[in-house]
Amino acid sequence: MTAPDAPSPKPDAGKRAFGWVRDVLSTRLNKSAGRIRQLMLLIGVAYLGIGGKLVHLGLSREPPQTLKVAADQAAAGARPDLLDRNGAILATDVKTLSVFAEPRNIIDKDEAVELITAVLPAVDARELRERMNSKKGFIWIKRQITAKEHDEIFHLGLPGIGFWPENKRIYPNGPLAAHVLGFVDKDNIGIAGMEKYLDTQGLTDPHVPGFAVDPEALKPVRLSLDIKATHALRDELIAGLERFKAKAAAGAIIDVDTGEIIALESLPDYDPNDPPDMTKQVNWPKINRVNVGTYEMGSTFKALTIAMALDSGKVSLGSHIDARDSLRSGHFTIHDFHATHRVLTVPEVFTHSSNIGTARMALMVGVQGHQAFLRKMGQLDRLQTELPESAKPQVPKHWGELNTMTIAFGQGLNVAPLQALMGVAALVNGGHLMKPTFLVRDEATAMANSEKVVSDQTSESMRYLLRSNATHGSAGFANVEGYYVGGKTGTAQKIVGRRYSNDKVFTTFMAITPADKPKFLYLVMYDQPEAAPGDGGYHTAAYNAGRVTGALLRRVEPLEGHAPLLAPPAHPFPLIARLGYGADADKVGKE
Amino acid sequence: MWRLLHLLAIGTLIGSAVYVYTLKYQAIFEAEQIVKLKHQINKTKDEIGVLRAEYEHLARPDRIQELADKLLQMQPLALNQIVRPEDIPEKNAQADSIGRKLESLGLGPSSSPANGAAGASPSLR
Repeated sequence: MTAPDAPSPKPDAGKRAFGWVRDVLSTRLNKSAGRIRQLMLLIGVAYLGIGGKLVHLGLSREPPQTLKVAADQAAAGARPDLLDRNGAILATDVKTLSVFAEPRNIIDKDEAVELITAVLPAVDARELRERMNSKKGFIWIKRQITAKEHDEIFHLGLPGIGFWPENKRIYPNGPLAAHVLGFVDKDNIGIAGMEKYLDTQGLTDPHVPGFAVDPEALKPVRLSLDIKATHALRDELIAGLERFKAKAAAGAIIDVDTGEIIALESLPDYDPNDPPDMTKQVNWPKINRVNVGTYEMGSTFKALTIAMALDSGKVSLGSHIDARDSLRSGHFTIHDFHATHRVLTVPEVFTHSSNIGTARMALMVGVQGHQAFLRKMGQLDRLQTELPESAKPQVPKHWGELNTMTIAFGQGLNVAPLQALMGVAALVNGGHLMKPTFLVRDEATAMANSEKVVSDQTSESMRYLLRSNATHGSAGFANVEGYYVGGKTGTAQKIVGRRYSNDKVFTTFMAITPADKPKFLYLVMYDQPEAAPGDGGYHTAAYNAGRVTGALLRRVEPLEGHAPLLAPPAHPFPLIARLGYGADADKVGKE
Repeated sequence: MWRLLHLLAIGTLIGSAVYVYTLKYQAIFEAEQIVKLKHQINKTKDEIGVLRAEYEHLARPDRIQELADKLLQMQPLALNQIVRPEDIPEKNAQADSIGRKLESLGLGPSSSPANGAAGASPSLR
């Protein structure tokens, strides 16, 4: 055979057979450039693919949603409970079912619409059909259905129709404190009041993607309101509203040591369970008059003027103020409502509510000083509390001597009543100006955030003046036995057209109890009250707001656990007693 | 010998597989129970919420006031209904009418047999 001349072709064949393997595994440099190019191409194609998908996703209008995400975003979010200061529920979430449809999964849309509208007559068939035929993947049919409706729809057995649990906001007390609580819309988003505050503070679970809050983690929020006191306030205000045929009424109770609002009501009000009720038209707007309304506070403002004069040191309790003649400025003349035509002491100016006297005292301090004092007392700037609603006081643009004279007795400057309340609270609590709050706050925190605006002595003088006004002045109707009440009336004439009207008035009343160491400051206001039968035609503050405050005080004080005093305090005003005044508030004013 | 070992191995394999599957199904069952319980807890919590709201609704002050006005004869607190502790009259000396009668009959505590010994001691001194 040819064994020797045919020297083994086998290795060659083997070389050829495994040649490609060697090729692939070869690490020679001449091969790598091509391979890198191939790799780059591959990666490039992959990136192009990803980029293309991104552009596609970006351009498509509706991102594909899973049902859960869609329903979750559409459903009403969870909100924390609102409690009163004693833990009673003011607002809470209740689970309800809402019925939805996925039009893509419905086989016969017309039949579905027909059957559903048979069960839910409130749903408009034509409108529902239109929405069913839109391209949406998820539509609500009806929110917050009843258990019976749920049963009936469930038994229709329609494909593409489902139920989703939702939260519905419930206000068990109805219209009580409605102006503080506010209300929510269908999606449980706060629209007004403390409900809106909760949303702005991020205390709710609004279903915003990326801000998921565990509904279990929502802690109840405790407000400073006392539901029982609020009810008493509302009840008495309504009784007065009917008796005095007033257009509107409002009232508030504030704890002067902490600045907490214990009760706040404004009539007419609405039921937050039924938000459309808010906008239902009545003759008088349903606004929060304590917060949003601005009014000329009338004679209650005199407290601020007298405190300013006393604190400036230009006037003391024993000073004499000339109120013999009307005060003229330009072509304006200032009269006294209860004219005395004599020289008055400072307590007499207060108890007789002398316009001339207070105007003279303001002039002693001067325009600059008057403005500075009112600014310090927070009367010239917008007062912002937790409530989103607030009002800017209407300050005269050109503030001359005449303005100072009229503002001294509460005309010519419109402030929110809450503002005036804050100012008077500071005058009687020892001179600490603190912002009112609707959340619970302790005295230490309140004091730390307060500002000393008048001296202890001025504060005590004001308490003494308020007390003497209850015993000898216009606040007698509110002088409830056992509570050592101090108070001040205010009757401001309303501007009709461009003139102050004589028969249309805005009346306010402020009362403190007990006057030697006040805890609560009461405010009651009536808009356009009329004289009640038997009042001799008087429609001034003492007859309406003053009476209501008296009745209110009698109800609220025992509710709050304040025991009545069987005898007046022995040394109610120690600081000014040392100076020889006010040893007995019950005797002053007459002298 | 080898065959026996093989059988044993196969048996162990099947046995362990069966055991693992039972465990798995048991775990699934328990997980379902947990989910069920969680649902029940949530449902009960919701029911509690509804009941609390209902309670508050029924106990709202204006309803209580209406009922109290209709059904109770209560009056507002008046100042003359309150008395200071100092104004409460002193406790009178205990009036023991029976004892006094006994004394008047000459059967006073000094002569009663129970006090006999004690009553006698001062005179003995």
